Amino acid sequence: MPTVPILMPQLGESIAEATIIRLGVAVGDSVRTDQEIIEVETNKAVMGVTTLCDGVVSEIRAQEGISYSVGTLLGLLDVTEEEVARTGVESLESIEAKRATSHSGSPAQAEANLHFALDEDAYEESPAVVPSVKGLPVPTGVLGAHYISPRMRARMDDLGIREADISAIVGTGAGGRVTVEDLERFLDYLDEWPSSQASPMRLAVADAMRRSWTRPLATVGRPILLDRLLEHRRVQTPKPGLTLYLLRAFALALTENPTTAGYLIGDKVVHPRSFDIGVAVQVEDGVVVPVVRKVDQKSLSELVAEYDDLVDRARRRRLTDQDCSGGIATVTNFGTFGLTTGTPIPLPNETLILGIGAGVKKPVWSTQVEAFLPATEADLQLTFDHRVVDGGGAGHLLNRVSALLQLPDSL
Amino acid sequence: MSVTYIDAIREAQEKLLREDDRVFLYGQDIATFGGAFKATKGLVEEFPNRAFDAPISEDAMIGMAVGAAIEGMRPIVEMQFADFSSIAFNQIVNQAATHFYRTGMPIPITIRLPSGGTPGSGPFHSQSMEGIYAQYPGLVVLTPATVSDAYYMLLDGVALDDPVIYCEHKFLYRWLKAKAINGDRLPIGQARITRPGKHATVVAYSAMVHEAVRAADRLSQDGWEIEVVDLRSVKPLDLDTILASVARTGRLLAVGEAFPWGGVTAEDVSRVTEEGFHLLDAPPQRLNARDTPVPYHPKLWAAHRPTPESICEALRKLLSF
Repeated sequence: MPTVPILMPQLGESIAEATIIRLGVAVGDSVRTDQEIIEVETNKAVMGVTTLCDGVVSEIRAQEGISYSVGTLLGLLDVTEEEVARTGVESLESIEAKRATSHSGSPAQAEANLHFALDEDAYEESPAVVPSVKGLPVPTGVLGAHYISPRMRARMDDLGIREADISAIVGTGAGGRVTVEDLERFLDYLDEWPSSQASPMRLAVADAMRRSWTRPLATVGRPILLDRLLEHRRVQTPKPGLTLYLLRAFALALTENPTTAGYLIGDKVVHPRSFDIGVAVQVEDGVVVPVVRKVDQKSLSELVAEYDDLVDRARRRRLTDQDCSGGIATVTNFGTFGLTTGTPIPLPNETLILGIGAGVKKPVWSTQVEAFLPATEADLQLTFDHRVVDGGGAGHLLNRVSALLQLPDSL
Repeated sequence: MSVTYIDAIREAQEKLLREDDRVFLYGQDIATFGGAFKATKGLVEEFPNRAFDAPISEDAMIGMAVGAAIEGMRPIVEMQFADFSSIAFNQIVNQAATHFYRTGMPIPITIRLPSGGTPGSGPFHSQSMEGIYAQYPGLVVLTPATVSDAYYMLLDGVALDDPVIYCEHKFLYRWLKAKAINGDRLPIGQARITRPGKHATVVAYSAMVHEAVRAADRLSQDGWEIEVVDLRSVKPLDLDTILASVARTGRLLAVGEAFPWGGVTAEDVSRVTEEGFHLLDAPPQRLNARDTPVPYHPKLWAAHRPTPESICEALRKLLSF
């Protein structure tokens, strides 16, 4: 009677092994096609191993509580010839016959290598993958560049390549890891594309953004009306920039709840020491962020000169390190590029960045006159480190900024 | 006609006796009886008064050899089993190993240690002592794995002015055959790439080289190309060759037949980790005998030492990291 193997099936794309939770059958049990006979658990779900055909369990090789890799022989079924013919399953006998013919190399040649009569069964190679904190863990579902070996790290350092740069590579190594060979192949492929040297400014921005992106960042937004602000601005000399209004409102809102701008490190939240707020200035091939000091303690008119000087020097690339350090949050006006919405990324050393989009004329319902009236509206966007701030805190902050901007005289 | 590993050892001694008057053989039953393993068979007839039977005192044997070396001789001392060299430990590590450092006078003795396990030999006739002697400054420790190395390394060992611990594997004595002693004569201190590969490096020595090659053969059926490095001499250790191999493969498994605590494999792994951390794709691994005395029963013995099966398993784990 043919024997049909019960194998650990491929339970999912990234599943390399599964743990037996329950053996539902014993030797001698009759089973039906597609009967669930073994319950297994992967790192994703509990699933059943089913039979391929009718038969009688003749051997169980698996044990409960042990993890086996995909393809491991878990047990055997005695199956009639008719059933094999009916279902087209492959019997152990036919698998072994195929294997015998596919292996070249004569037995005599193998024999010549033998030391002396060693009982080959004395040491059985264990088919089970035993996950353990000791020795080598077997990775499952660890795809891509999640694990960087010292060798891979060294090669990447040689080439000045960071993890984010190789996110495009599908790994071919153990557990889907990206190997040095994968990296070299990818670089060879990229050699076929035109390329240029990145500027130091570009690399500095890339580095800052990469470091910042290691955190769980979230963005929330709301519209604000700009009309009162624009009206207020028209009569000022010198005229404060729109961004400066935002800077001032942001600082005042933060003084009400300074921990919102706190910086989480280990089990501590570091609080702002001074309400120094940066402003993002687009320059050639990058962005610089000069910091305006003590924004909460100076009026708008007092801030104008300091702000204009910083922005001017930023555009001329004349800022010092001092000018750009010590900020607790940043304001960015991407509306100047005609954009209405965005998800800005805070600096790596800051928890918050407040963005504003371009003002757009819109019909806004007026309850006073019971009609749609034209108004200038813009979207405020706040990106925050969700470890420190939640949606509620971020929303409250945005609402306060919005409210303060409706009272430009108080700024 | 073929030459066995033990033939090569005998022929090397014959050549040394013929060509160098300073060489003589000393050991228990090595003269008329030809040695417990017949490594000196017929040599006393060919060279009368150049092979001497020693009393059953390993301590006295090495003491005498050290004295003879001081007087300008180049003695080759056979320990009946490597295990018994522990009785001469004081003379080897305190006297012979330190003599040049203390006095400026070299001690060119060669101590032959029939080493390693064979089935049914048990705890006193199976041990591998290379790691212990390699620990001591002043000693050179050789572990030939091939017939030609057995021959040339004994010649080169005797030519050295330093005391040499020559570990010859009993298992290889008659099992390992070559058509002839070939010309592949590497200097002492240089390892050999026995089998080239690109997926993992096995560093082995003595009989374990053959077990590693068998394991590599098996894994080649699954498409794995395993590089096998034969250390040849465990001291000096050819770290350059090991690092160059690990640079190619990114993975290291050090295999030795000695006990697992410390020793040659630990040295391999520690040096590679120290100097070649940036070459590694996976934590370097070791495979040794088990941490118990060497068992007598052949089946227990086979489970005690590394085998092609256990090397394969260790390599599969290493390759899956």
